Amino acid sequence: MKIHDSGDVLTISNIKELAAGNSDSFREEVRAAVPSGIKAIEIDLTDTDFVDSCGLGALISVYKLVNSRNGPVPVRLINPAPSIQQIFELTRLHRIFEIVKSE
Amino acid sequence: MTGLPQDSAAGLTSANPGPGEVPLPSNGERTGNSGPCVCATLRTSLSCDLSSVSAARLELRGFLQQHGVRREEVSACELALAEACNNAIQSATTDGRRRSVEVLAICTRSKVELHVNDHTLGFDWPSSAVELPDIQDEHGRGLFFIQSVMDSATYFRRRDGNGLIMRKMRAQAQSDNSAPQTGVASEAERSAQLAEMQQVLGEMVRELCFRSETLAAICRCSADLGRSNDLKEFSERLLNDLLHIAVAEWFLVRTIDERGHFSIFVASTDTASVRDIVFGPGKLSYAEAESARTRADVEFGPNQPLAPEDPLAILFPGVTGLVHPIRVDQTLIGTLAIGRSPLDSPFSVAQREVIRTFADFLASQMLNGKLREEQISNRLIGHELEIARSIQRSLLPKTLPKLRGFGLAAHCQSARQVGGDFYDLLQVSDTSVLLVIADVMGKGVPAALFAAQLRSLVRANPESSTRPAQLLTRINQLLFDDLSRVSMFITAQIVLLDVAQRRAVVGSAGHCPLLVGQRGGATVQAVTSDGLPLGVMHNTTFEESSLMLPAGARLLLYTDGVTESRNRSGECFGEHRLQEWLRSNGNSLRSTDSLKANLISTLNEFESSSLQGEGAPHGKRPLSNGQKERQRGRIAMKAKAALKLASDSLYDDRTFLIAAEEETAADRPDRSGSRNKL
Repeated sequence: MKIHDSGDVLTISNIKELAAGNSDSFREEVRAAVPSGIKAIEIDLTDTDFVDSCGLGALISVYKLVNSRNGPVPVRLINPAPSIQQIFELTRLHRIFEIVKSE
Repeated sequence: MTGLPQDSAAGLTSANPGPGEVPLPSNGERTGNSGPCVCATLRTSLSCDLSSVSAARLELRGFLQQHGVRREEVSACELALAEACNNAIQSATTDGRRRSVEVLAICTRSKVELHVNDHTLGFDWPSSAVELPDIQDEHGRGLFFIQSVMDSATYFRRRDGNGLIMRKMRAQAQSDNSAPQTGVASEAERSAQLAEMQQVLGEMVRELCFRSETLAAICRCSADLGRSNDLKEFSERLLNDLLHIAVAEWFLVRTIDERGHFSIFVASTDTASVRDIVFGPGKLSYAEAESARTRADVEFGPNQPLAPEDPLAILFPGVTGLVHPIRVDQTLIGTLAIGRSPLDSPFSVAQREVIRTFADFLASQMLNGKLREEQISNRLIGHELEIARSIQRSLLPKTLPKLRGFGLAAHCQSARQVGGDFYDLLQVSDTSVLLVIADVMGKGVPAALFAAQLRSLVRANPESSTRPAQLLTRINQLLFDDLSRVSMFITAQIVLLDVAQRRAVVGSAGHCPLLVGQRGGATVQAVTSDGLPLGVMHNTTFEESSLMLPAGARLLLYTDGVTESRNRSGECFGEHRLQEWLRSNGNSLRSTDSLKANLISTLNEFESSSLQGEGAPHGKRPLSNGQKERQRGRIAMKAKAALKLASDSLYDDRTFLIAAEEETAADRPDRSGSRNKL
């Protein structure tokens, strides 16, 4: 997993999966990396082939973290696989996350 | 990638199937190497750790992909498997954390089936659709996913771990037009379905085994109960069966009495190390006391430790288990403590149910046992009374001697408690009889045995029969040791009635006086003679009183059961009333038998009356004053009176003898003739 901080946007990529086994460490690492004046978070799911309910929980906690600190901060999910996108839709979480498909 | 080799996976069934367990067929059947598989199984196990779920999920993915399952279906199965495993791992018991989570995947042409077993306390699987949590809630989507992405899910609770079976129907297979292949496929599919049914059947059989084991143990113990009278032995057997069924290691049953005293009834452990407890203030925190007080289960374990001073904590440090109150309705009989080693998980729902069933059964048996003991003891008492009564009856003369000019009648009414009243009439000569009446202090068989001894001694000393005082002295010497050993004594009166000489010789051992009346006479004489009851003093002598028989003489010998008959106001009949009876009936009644009948009805009428007396003096024989011996006798008789009062004198024996001179036309000249002889 890679975390890149451009000042305004925090980008997290190279995530193999977001599941019970790693959701706690994901949450902690992101929490530690979030800068104070953040404008947006981009979570790149291109390499992610699996998300379970614990992974969703971790994403929700990140969303709540940045939105409790400073105003509305969008959390973008980049390029989720169809099966993963389906999970977001099933749980209606696509309403709070911005799902972005790059070409 | 194919499934793990069979021997590397424990599978859902245990390695050594127990009785009644159906082993799952282990045929990982696959078609040839060409087409997609029509039935395949994958078994894998993962350690109880969330980080191992991923590997199992990838293994499933590989397996399903290899067998041509569509990508969306694979994703759904992966998600369901991951959620099921997460659940199994996160909710595992202490014991369950040391065990692996077993996974079985069955892939047929029509569906994918996933079996995941868990070592948790078991879930209450929702019967309806799970609702989504609040959108910002981080938890609570696991079951929702399983329900959403799979077509069905069934949850089984079992003794050795619970199981979740999830099914995903596959979209219709596409290019399947080769007839022979279809034939083979459907056969393979059928065998897969068979395997599946066997699996479900296995679950049911195991559940049934658990129940029937419980039932069998209770039936076995019930059968034993008929054979054994020992409730403790029975309880031990029952509870040892319970240990086996509920997978527990020890039990301890205490009974509790109304003072809060807990005594050990049975225990699986060495009872020498278990102490009885009196639960008072400060001990209410003890698990057993708490359960007795609240009439509810009290559980203990790593999360709810016992108080350090709790006797159970001292006996079994760090245990896991529970205390169940043993009761029938609201009647608390005791407590059952049952537990297992500190490392084990708490009892499952099913195990607790079994413990409760056994405790209820035990409670009813313990209550029955208590009632049965009381019944037996009552029966024994009844039996003893029957023996005493039959001894008493056998001692009384079957026929009365004949005495010229006199009628003889005797009455002995046994009390419910059977005292030691006794009478005898011995023919001494044609013209004389010996009248004996006695009251052994005490009741039941011992009193009856002394009466028997007295009877033989009187009958064995014919040479003394004309000297009542001598006879009493002799009898006292012979009986003294036996009587004083058991602190009993006998009051007795012996009267020699000699019609030839028209006299009566009276000897008394502390007995009621002889009442002598006269037909048509205005007075009744109470004849007494000094003497202690038999068994009070070893070397004591008895005096004799001799009296001339008046014309139309009526002699009444009685025991104090007669004078102590009480009416409903608690008043005694008394000697005064008895004398009055003898005097007033002097004229009207002639035959001895009618006198006897009249006295009985008079006493019965008195008893059923509630009339307050006219201050009739209490029936006590006059005691001459002075002598030390007599003082002792008085003390003895006071003791007896007190004893009788305590044991309810209404139930005392009532005995009397009547000898009455009969006036018949035939007798008259004869009688006047004999009078002339004097």
